[in-house]
Amino acid sequence: MNRAIEALEKGHQFSATSFVLDEEAVARYVEAVEDEALPRLAQAEGKAWVPPMAVAALALRSLMEEMVLPAGAIHVSQELEFVRAVEAGERITCRAWLSHRSQRGGWWVLAVEMEGAGESGQPVLAGRSTVMVPQ
Amino acid sequence: MSQEAIGRERWVVGAELPAVAKTLSQEKIDRYARASGDFNPIHVDAAFAAQTPFGGTIAHGMLLLAYLSEMLTAAFGQAWLSGGRLKVRFKGAARPGDVVTARGRVERAKDERRVCSVECLNQQHRVLITGEAEVRVV
Repeated sequence: MNRAIEALEKGHQFSATSFVLDEEAVARYVEAVEDEALPRLAQAEGKAWVPPMAVAALALRSLMEEMVLPAGAIHVSQELEFVRAVEAGERITCRAWLSHRSQRGGWWVLAVEMEGAGESGQPVLAGRSTVMVPQ
Repeated sequence: MSQEAIGRERWVVGAELPAVAKTLSQEKIDRYARASGDFNPIHVDAAFAAQTPFGGTIAHGMLLLAYLSEMLTAAFGQAWLSGGRLKVRFKGAARPGDVVTARGRVERAKDERRVCSVECLNQQHRVLITGEAEVRVV
């Protein structure tokens, strides 16, 4: 179900989501962000590495399947930890929860924490996104 | 000298990371929307964005983070992909036509860990993103 984020209670657990970045999707992303460093590294190491920020972007995007950020919402801050490199074709499963919810000067301040894991369950990334939503 | 020692010697306190500069356009923002699946109208709908306080479309924050990530990949390679940490605040919006520069500097070193200040600036040197990245030099 797609719900307004400010209507959720602190501690709300989002449904787990999963996605796969195949080689074609990785190529589209690398072209879109004009990343010259990742292809060089991947070629040097003989691996189809996924740009870590692509994993983060898709993980955040998958959260949007369950919540709505209203017009006027501001992405205030972002924390990310890339636990291990991801290869193209890996399925990533994300869990997320609303870790902070407060009011300040006519705004909701909301933080969502997430964890992404590979098919073996081994973590690949963790993150915390803080957004401000007008009341 | 081992690769590990070379990495540790190169990334001493004060060392500048290799800056990355990109010129934004609406076409690039649209391309990023398609690649990431983020079609928020503030990024891709000029008519909608014109009615917001921004007065026009702005780039995705995660697109600017991709520029920081490219810089960190170029500097630290696999160490950024496996074990890299980033903590940033979004301070301003980037618009079509802006030239965004991602840059960074090693601020602290302890054993193999390096903490770098990182930021994205526009062509007027306005800070769009500021924060810290941490990697383990290998």
